[in-house]
Amino acid sequence: MPQIELSKIRKTFKIYERPEGKWALLRGAFSRTARTVTALDGVSFAIGEGELVGYIGPNGAGKSTTVKVMSGILTPDGGACVINGRTPWKERTAHVAEIGVVFGQRSQLWWDVPVSDSFLLLRDVYNVPRETFKRRHDELTETLGLGGLLKTPARQLSLGQRMRCELAAALLHSPRILFLDEPTIGLDAVSKLALRSFLKEENRRSGVTMLLTTHDMDDVEALCDRVMVIGHGKLLYDGGMPALKARYAAREGEDIDEVIARMYEEMAL
Amino acid sequence: MRKAYLSIFRIRAAESFQYRIAALSGSLTSFLWAVIEIAAFTVFFKYARGPGGGLTLEQTVSHIWVRELLLFLQPYNIDGDLLGKLTSGDVGVELCRPLDLYWHWFARTSAGKLVVFVMRCLVCFLVAFLLPGGFAARPPASPAGFLLFVPAVLCAFLLCSSFLMLMTAVRTNITWGDGPMYLLGLAGGLLSGGYLPLQLWPGFMQPFLLLQPFAGICDIPARLYIGSMEPSEAWLGIAVQLFWSVVFIAVGRFIMARRVKTLVVQGG
Repeated sequence: MPQIELSKIRKTFKIYERPEGKWALLRGAFSRTARTVTALDGVSFAIGEGELVGYIGPNGAGKSTTVKVMSGILTPDGGACVINGRTPWKERTAHVAEIGVVFGQRSQLWWDVPVSDSFLLLRDVYNVPRETFKRRHDELTETLGLGGLLKTPARQLSLGQRMRCELAAALLHSPRILFLDEPTIGLDAVSKLALRSFLKEENRRSGVTMLLTTHDMDDVEALCDRVMVIGHGKLLYDGGMPALKARYAAREGEDIDEVIARMYEEMAL
Repeated sequence: MRKAYLSIFRIRAAESFQYRIAALSGSLTSFLWAVIEIAAFTVFFKYARGPGGGLTLEQTVSHIWVRELLLFLQPYNIDGDLLGKLTSGDVGVELCRPLDLYWHWFARTSAGKLVVFVMRCLVCFLVAFLLPGGFAARPPASPAGFLLFVPAVLCAFLLCSSFLMLMTAVRTNITWGDGPMYLLGLAGGLLSGGYLPLQLWPGFMQPFLLLQPFAGICDIPARLYIGSMEPSEAWLGIAVQLFWSVVFIAVGRFIMARRVKTLVVQGG
């Protein structure tokens, strides 16, 4: 049985609109019209333990919404999702104890206190035994090169440094699954490469399942054997990277971004 | 599991203790405000005709200083960090923790109050003892009153935190904006005796004023300190405080649990 299984997940959002025309501002204060936007339109897939999957699609395709549903922080309108034998939004606390999440655009570190304080807090939050925590902490500090950063408040870290700390924070409790929502956004080339090799190594060594959303196709090429493409709330492709390239590349050795752009065009995204 | 909430309390307190200057300047504001108020009350008491209210001038002055001491409990606003998380969608990160969101934020909210207490309120209160004559803060009316004042302050801390969490739970519906929160905060401030000691309000309102939820935030502890509530009646005051704390916690948890199910985590 796969570790993560989604079937026909649907999620719509309401967007309130102001009326147009004369006195629109005033009328808008009393009446408004709601428009429904479909973020996920029956998404189904399954991911096995230890897989490293890339999840791509244009902006607004529904990537982050899927990650939120799988993290248990958003309740879908319909469909089923079972992860580690649980429905995330129904058994949220038990579910999130076994996963780690990195949101590239948000921070889980306490802004004004040293990074190590945030780490110690996570030990208590996830109830990790002291020795286990120390071993894991030392290991992550070493592989991510955090030695000099632990005493620095999070607000004074550069983006690259912070992202390394975020990764450590997400992995301190040894989760079985790691969701990464655009982890390489805004990072320089060196930080990006370091992050990739760390993720690859972590996946190989501890067998943690990873799902990675990104707009950086080099991330996907370097890391993932399997890639899923989402657009307009529907899953459009699920398979290997070479097969995807073969299908959409116009010529041999074409730049991966051009291939993806052509694919989005052909899929009318 | 309880350890996690204690750790959250600790880290939040450590974080907020960095803002010392802000708290100390707040202390000066409190101080000046209280002095002006005492001057006004002195005039009122001196020239008022007819029977006085339920307090003497000395008790009123003491009440004002105790109110400055307990100012950190005034439910003006919910925790600024939490408000930021709700509007920006960072609440998603909070929900990724294997914790009950209500108690998680309860610990944060209450810890955020401590620094205001030590840096702003305690400093202002202690300095007030050095003032001359009619302006000075006075020691508690009786030793027994003071012994009951301490637990009453702790209960006020619980009451205030649980009321703020009710406000936070309401604010979780972010499309409502700040309006409902301000209404709740204003009602709380007024009825806590933070603007005018409740015993100076009209006599026929007194039973209501004592039993309503907000008296416990400021007025009940203050009454024990200034001696306008007999130590033998303290049980009633503390029972009122605990009763409303339990009510606020129950309602806050109920609203929060419902909101979390329909919560929309904003942003991509």
